[in-house]
Amino acid sequence: MKISNKFLFAVFLTGFSIYSVFALNPEGASRILLNLLTFAGIYGLSAIGLNVHFGWTGLLNFGHASFMGVGAYVTLLLMPHAAGREGEITSTGLPFIVALIIGILSAALFGLLLGLPAIRLRGDYLAIVTIAAAEIFRLLVRDLESITGGVYGIINYTENLQQYRPNFINNFSESLGFSPSQAWVCLVAWVSILFTVLFLKRLNNSPWGRALRAVREDEDAVRAMGKNAVWLKLQSFMLGAGIAGLSGVLLAFNYGSLETTVFVPLLTFYVWAIMILGGVGTITGPIFGSIIFWVIISETDRLAFILFENANGQQLAGVRFLLVGLLIMALMIFRPSGLLGKKEELLLDVK
Amino acid sequence: MLDQLGNGLLLGIIISVASVALSLLYGVTRIVNFAHGEIIALGAIMTLFFSSPVDYRVLFLDKYSPLGYNFALSCILAVIVCGLFGALLEICLFRPLRKGNVGNIAVLVVTIGLSIFIRHLYLLFATGKVQDFPLELQRRQTYLFFDMTPRNLNVLIAGIVVMLIFGFLLTYTRLGKAMRAVRDSEELSSVSGINSDNIILITWISSSMLAGLAGIFQAIINDVRWNMGFLILLLIFAGTVLGGIGTSFGAMVGGFLIGILVQVSVGLPFMEGHTEAKNAVALAIMILILLFRPQGIFGQKERIS
Repeated sequence: MKISNKFLFAVFLTGFSIYSVFALNPEGASRILLNLLTFAGIYGLSAIGLNVHFGWTGLLNFGHASFMGVGAYVTLLLMPHAAGREGEITSTGLPFIVALIIGILSAALFGLLLGLPAIRLRGDYLAIVTIAAAEIFRLLVRDLESITGGVYGIINYTENLQQYRPNFINNFSESLGFSPSQAWVCLVAWVSILFTVLFLKRLNNSPWGRALRAVREDEDAVRAMGKNAVWLKLQSFMLGAGIAGLSGVLLAFNYGSLETTVFVPLLTFYVWAIMILGGVGTITGPIFGSIIFWVIISETDRLAFILFENANGQQLAGVRFLLVGLLIMALMIFRPSGLLGKKEELLLDVK
Repeated sequence: MLDQLGNGLLLGIIISVASVALSLLYGVTRIVNFAHGEIIALGAIMTLFFSSPVDYRVLFLDKYSPLGYNFALSCILAVIVCGLFGALLEICLFRPLRKGNVGNIAVLVVTIGLSIFIRHLYLLFATGKVQDFPLELQRRQTYLFFDMTPRNLNVLIAGIVVMLIFGFLLTYTRLGKAMRAVRDSEELSSVSGINSDNIILITWISSSMLAGLAGIFQAIINDVRWNMGFLILLLIFAGTVLGGIGTSFGAMVGGFLIGILVQVSVGLPFMEGHTEAKNAVALAIMILILLFRPQGIFGQKERIS
């Protein structure tokens, strides 16, 4: 297999950004790196799912946060947890793997449910409908306090995953001063990415993958070849939503407590930025995009401290999002294909 | 349920004015502008900057204290600033994108980035905290069958008058005709001697001025926040879609309907104790409208491809 220059450049840039973390943080660099690699893994996984929607099939999905949310909430609520104002404890539940599979399936089902009507809409309308649906989901979750814990959120669920933590993680983390639970989440996230990428690579070269990209290029041609374009789009919606569901579960385990504020539209925009940075329509692109993105994000605090003396949390977040907005704009204007994408494979106009 | 009607009308006027602006911009340029909310917030923040007393506790851009102008003058100045800002966006950002044949979806993503960027500029340099205009408190009074303060009633009337004048200009003047021509086909209108760049610039200016006005209304009725535009953006989309994208009259009615629906839904029996979810009702209606009648209430089918 020939390795393209683009790929080498992406690897170089990723390596350089990881190196810069060490260069900029003389102390505690490895801990910072673990934190950002965990987030990078989780968001990268989510961006891979979004890429199935937008990159492969050309569906303008701006409700990605809701798919992550469905996966996270269904999975956590099926396992032992505590929720709500009183921290009401549910001590019985399904084992992690079973709950996770149900969670992923429910996210995919939610994708189908949302996709079934929305898929008939033209690109920009689909964007408005998906972002509105995601907001409806968030508002309902916040309001159904008796089930989801509402604004008080869900806590005491991390043990469901942590009990499977192998011993070598403990030893390894101890020697490097990591938090073992985060190291475990990080490992799970990157293993998930590995399997998802292998799975998608196979799909991409299958007749199904080709048909999907054909839908993006010319729906009528797909119909003329006797394929059901609507069903293909729905399958893509479900696949991407399922992947997002998995990343949502991992995000919940990384946070340690789950609140509805996690799934605001900004989460979707983060994932979009990562996808565009990595390369729309690629499989491995979001992985590089995600690492570089999180290095940038974690080092912006420096910028905030230059702009404001004694910057408070609001200012740190402000500078962070300022950069995210700028990144999305600049990428879309100057390099919409990102690091690895091909410009001719990019859907930029409303069909 | 009826006691919420006054609140519904007030939310309605904000959404209505903003929807007319959004619909005008979408109609002429085909840009789904996610940064619309930020222009709304700009109107409110500039008014706050012009009108607050000089010894105000908040500095703008970290060093400028407010100017303490007369309130009406401040509103006019703020609307003008919004218009200039719209012109700036068009000339520096959206015109080059149009000339570079950047597709609609790419422009949509650019407006999302722009919206995040500007919103957090406000957070950092204008108003991180919730602020109020320097206006004295007023008591609610009953007009016909709804309650509101006299000031809010004036806002309501002013908003309706502005929209009617605007609709009249759009329908009967040469400029309005030219806008509609550019909307239908930029190339054909250029051929018939319309300078489409100028028309689009004027569209941006007038849309931004209306959006700024909507922001001032929102701030008078509620308050000034850095993310006030984003909070209401989806409702504005809902109003625009409900009335029919590309029709000013439709957007006006759609905006009022959404405002009233949101507030009245608080009184529905199954909504008891779930007032936070009231926006979900409006968004659900928008989705249903898009699915079953994508041209909206007043839109014409042929305008929706």
